[in-house]
Amino acid sequence: MKKQYTYPFSAIVGQEQMKLALILNIINPTLSGVLIRGEKGTAKSTAVRALADILPEIEVIEGLPFNLAHDEEPDIIRECFAVTGEEMPADDGLPLGKQKVKVVELPVGATEDRVVGTLDLEHALKAGEKRIEPGLLASAHRGILYVDEVNLLDDHVVDVLLDSAAMGINTIEREGVSFSHPSRFTLVGTMNPEEGELRPQLLDRFGLCVHIEGIADPDDRVTVMERRFAFEESPEVFCSQWNGESDKLVERIRQARELYPKVVVGRENLLAIANYCLEVGVDGHRGDIIIMKTAKTIAAYDGRAEVEQTDIDQAAMLALPHRIRRQPLQDIVMDIGPVLKNKMHEVVARDR
Amino acid sequence: MHTQLYPFSAVVGQEELKLSLLLNAVNPRIGGVVIRGEKGTAKSTTVRALGTLLPEKTVAVGGTGCSPAVVTLPLNATEDMVAGGIDFQRAMKEGRRIFQPGLLAKADKGILYIDEVNLLDDHIVDIVLDAAASGENRVEREGISCVHPASFVLVGTMNPEEGELRPQLLDRFGLCVEAAAESDAEKRAELMVRREAFDADSKGFVMQYREENDRIAKKIADARELLPRVVIPSHLRGFISELCRENNVAGHRADLVIEQAAKAHAAYWGSREVSVDDVTAVAGLALVHRRREAVSPPPPEPSQKQEENQKQNNCENDEQQEQQQPGQPEQEDGTGGRPRQEEQERGDSEGNEQDEEIMAGPDGEQPEDDNVSPVMEQIFDIGKPFTVRKIAYPKDRKMRRGSGRRSRSRVSQKQGRYTKSTVKRRNDDIALDATLRAAAPFQRYRDNDKGMAVVLKDEDIREKIREKRLGNLLIFVVDASGSMGAKGRMVASKGAIMSLLIDAYQKRDKIAMVSFRKDGAVVNLPVTSSVELAANMLREMPVGGRTPFSAGISKGYELARNYLMKAPEAQPIVVLVTDGKANKALGSGKPLEEAFEISGKISREERIRFLVVDTEEPGLVNFGLAAKIAGLLNAEYFKIDDLQADSLLDIVKNATS
Repeated sequence: MKKQYTYPFSAIVGQEQMKLALILNIINPTLSGVLIRGEKGTAKSTAVRALADILPEIEVIEGLPFNLAHDEEPDIIRECFAVTGEEMPADDGLPLGKQKVKVVELPVGATEDRVVGTLDLEHALKAGEKRIEPGLLASAHRGILYVDEVNLLDDHVVDVLLDSAAMGINTIEREGVSFSHPSRFTLVGTMNPEEGELRPQLLDRFGLCVHIEGIADPDDRVTVMERRFAFEESPEVFCSQWNGESDKLVERIRQARELYPKVVVGRENLLAIANYCLEVGVDGHRGDIIIMKTAKTIAAYDGRAEVEQTDIDQAAMLALPHRIRRQPLQDIVMDIGPVLKNKMHEVVARDR
Repeated sequence: MHTQLYPFSAVVGQEELKLSLLLNAVNPRIGGVVIRGEKGTAKSTTVRALGTLLPEKTVAVGGTGCSPAVVTLPLNATEDMVAGGIDFQRAMKEGRRIFQPGLLAKADKGILYIDEVNLLDDHIVDIVLDAAASGENRVEREGISCVHPASFVLVGTMNPEEGELRPQLLDRFGLCVEAAAESDAEKRAELMVRREAFDADSKGFVMQYREENDRIAKKIADARELLPRVVIPSHLRGFISELCRENNVAGHRADLVIEQAAKAHAAYWGSREVSVDDVTAVAGLALVHRRREAVSPPPPEPSQKQEENQKQNNCENDEQQEQQQPGQPEQEDGTGGRPRQEEQERGDSEGNEQDEEIMAGPDGEQPEDDNVSPVMEQIFDIGKPFTVRKIAYPKDRKMRRGSGRRSRSRVSQKQGRYTKSTVKRRNDDIALDATLRAAAPFQRYRDNDKGMAVVLKDEDIREKIREKRLGNLLIFVVDASGSMGAKGRMVASKGAIMSLLIDAYQKRDKIAMVSFRKDGAVVNLPVTSSVELAANMLREMPVGGRTPFSAGISKGYELARNYLMKAPEAQPIVVLVTDGKANKALGSGKPLEEAFEISGKISREERIRFLVVDTEEPGLVNFGLAAKIAGLLNAEYFKIDDLQADSLLDIVKNATS
C-alpha cells in the first residue's frame, strides 16, 4: 500500500493562533485541549491531522490497548491486563515500547459503546468468557482526541466525554462490564458556530479556544493554493521539502517540554491572573488555572524560564474567550481581543 | 502522571462543601448532599477527594475484595450494572443463575457519587432512589430474585445551567450546597499554585498533605464512634421545628436531617451534646433546597434570583429616579398605563436607542406589574406561587404519561442510550449482553455442534430499550420590535413565553430562543435544556426598533433544520410571538410580501410545527397580519388574550401529541 502523506504542519499558511494553541497543548498536555471555531475550509482539520507529524514519542506498556505508562498504579495495570484477557508479566518485566502520541478521531456519529468500550462479543460467543473491547477513550489515553464538528455530537456521547475528561478516568458500567481505566486526553474539537453552540459544560472543558477565518491577504491566499497544489502533485517531494522545518519544530517542542517544569511564575503574576479573571467575570477556577499553565507553556516555548506579562496577555487571549460570562442578547462573540486587551491593561495599570 | 486523587485537605476554600461532605461521612443518616454550582468550582474534585479520608470497606454481596469508599455511578450505566444481574461467565460454567452485584451493592456502607446528577436517566434515578430510601436493593430481573443491603450516602453534583433536578429527587438529598468560585484573589492564586504542583508531581503533593489528611480522617473516625452517644436537648428540637416552619418547609424530612446533621457536627468537634451553634451551622444546608418548595417547584432558587434581580433593578431605579419621577405617582395610584404609554410613543418617535432604554429599564416594566391583568403579572413574578401552581400541578401527572409516550416512539430508533433490555421483540436491536446472560444457564444442556461456546436460541433474544432524552425542541421566535412594546404587549408576551418555558422544563424539552428587532434576528439562546438561562434571557430582552420579520422566522427555521439534521426523530415546534407587522425585509422587496413568501416556503417542511401567538392589540384597527402568516405557515393560531395559563397547557399538549 502506498504510504499516506499528511500535509506538513509547518507548511500551513497563517492561522498562527491555532497553530500556537495546538503546539502549546503538545508541550503541555494538562492544558486539556483546544476548541477551534471557524468557517469551513480554514484548514482546521488539516492542522489537527498534521499534528501527527510533530508529535513526540511516549513510552507505553506493550500488548495493551490502553497506552499505559510504566509507572501507572500497579493495581490499574493488573486490571487492564485482566480485562483484555492477556497474561500479566512479572512485576519487573513489563514489556515497554515507544510509540508516537496518537491522534484519535471521534466521528460525530460514533456510538456510545465504541467510545467507552464494551463487551467483546466475539470472544463471549466463541469462548464463553467476558472480555473487554476497549473504546476510543482507551486509545486516546495520553494522546489527542479529535472531534470534528464537536457541536453536532450526540448529547449522551458528550456526557461520556465530560465524565472522563473531568477526572481522567473512563468508567464502564454497562453491558455486563464493570471496569475503569485511565483516560487522560487532550481534547481537540473543531466547530462551525453557525451550526449551533456547545453545551457550556463541554465548552469549559476545552482549555483554549481559537477563532479562525479565511486568510484575507491575497498573497497569502496564493501561497495557500501553491502549496496545496504542490502537495497534491507530489506529496512525497513536498513533505521532504518541509522536513527541515518540521524537525526544527519538533526539536523546539522537545526543548520546551524539558524546560516547562522549571518555568516559574511570580506571585504577583498569579495575583494579576486572578484579579483579571475576577474582573472579566469567569465561571469557576478553570480559567485561572489554564491561563497560568498556558503562560508558563508559552514562556517555555520561547525558551525562557520566567513568565512575563506578555505571556499572560497572550495566554488570556487563548484561554478566556469561551469562558467569559455571556451577556443576555449577546451572540457568543469570539473576537473579544480588544475587550480583553483593554480590560487587561486596566487591571494591570491599577495593580501597579 | 498517576491516577492519584487530589487530597481533601488541599482543596482551597469551599468550606460549606467540605463541611457537608464531612458531616455525611460521620453520619450517613443525614441522607447525602447535592452540590450545585457553576463549572470549574472543584465540585467533583472535592467529592472524590473525600475517598482519600475514608477506609476501604468489604463488599457486602459477592464478598470478593474491597471496594473504594466512593463509588462512582457514571451517566451511561445500564440498569443491570446498577442493580445487578446474572453473572454471565459463571452461569456458563455452572449452568445456574448466579447474582452479580451491581453498583448499589458496591456502594453499600459507602458513598454513591453521581456526577452531573441532573443528567441521569430517569429510571436509573428511580432505582437509586428506591434503594436510598429503603436501604436495600430489591432485584427482580433476568430470573433472579434477591434482596441485599444497600445503604449508602448519595452525593450528587450538578451544574444548574444544564437544567434542574426534579424536586422529588432534590428532596432526597439531605443537604444542599451551592459551590461558587472563590472571590479572593489571594486564594485564587494559592489555588493555581496547588493545582500546578499537583499536576507536576501528584505523588509528592499527596505526601505533602498526608499529615493534614490523616488528621481529618482520624477526626471522622473518632466522630463516627462518638456519634451514637451524642444527645440533643429537647429545647433544641423545638428550635429546629421552629426553623423549619419559618422557612415554609413541607414535610418532616428537613427536621430530621437538621437533627442528624447537628449531631454529626457536634460529634465532629468532639462534643457529646448538640448546641445551638451546631444547629445553626447546619440548618442552612438542610433548608436551602427545601425552603423554596412552598414557593415554586421548577427553577430551584427562583426566589433568591428574583431578589437579586429586584435588587439590581432597585439600584438602577435609583439612578433613573430623577428623569422618571414625573410619571410614577400616577402609575402607582392605579389609573392605568397612560404615562408609560406616552413614554413609549415618545420613544418611538425619537428613535430606537431611546426606546430601548425605556423598555429595557426597570421603570418601564415594574409599574406594569401593578396595574395590568394577571396574565401580565406572570412575567415579573415568575417565582411567585400562583403562576407555577396553575401550571405545575396538573402538569405533573400529564408529564409522566407524556414521557412514557415519548419513550415508546424512541424505541423504534436504534439510537440513544441503552438503558435496559426487554424480552419483547420489536426491531432487532439486540442487547447481546442480556441475550448472553439469558442463554448462559442453559448452555450445559444444549446441543453444540458448531464449535461455538454459546448456543443461542430464539427465546434467549433480548432487545435494547433505549432512552433518548429531550426529544422535543421548542424554538421561540420573539418579535422584540418597537410595536411590541406598546401597551404592555411585550409584557404579556413574555408571560406567555415564560409559562411555556416552565412547561418545557417539566417535560425536559430543549429550548432555543430567537428574537428579531432593529436590523435583524439574533439567536439569544442556542439549543439548550437550561430553562433558567432562557428565563434570564427573557427577563432582560430589550424591545425597540423595526420589525425584520423575515429575518426572525428564517433564523428560527434554520435552527430547527439544523437540529433535525442532528436528531432526525425530533419534533421541533417553532413558537412565533409577533403582531406580524413586518416592516424590514431581508432582500430588496416589500417587507410584508417577503414575510408572506417566506412563510409559505417554510411551511413545506413538514417535520417542523408552527405555533403563532398573535400579540396584536384587539379593538383597534386590526390588520390580522399574524393570522395571515399563521395561515401560510399552517400554524396553530392564538390571540394573546386567550393565553391563560390553563389554555396554554392545552396548546402545548396538542402540539406535542
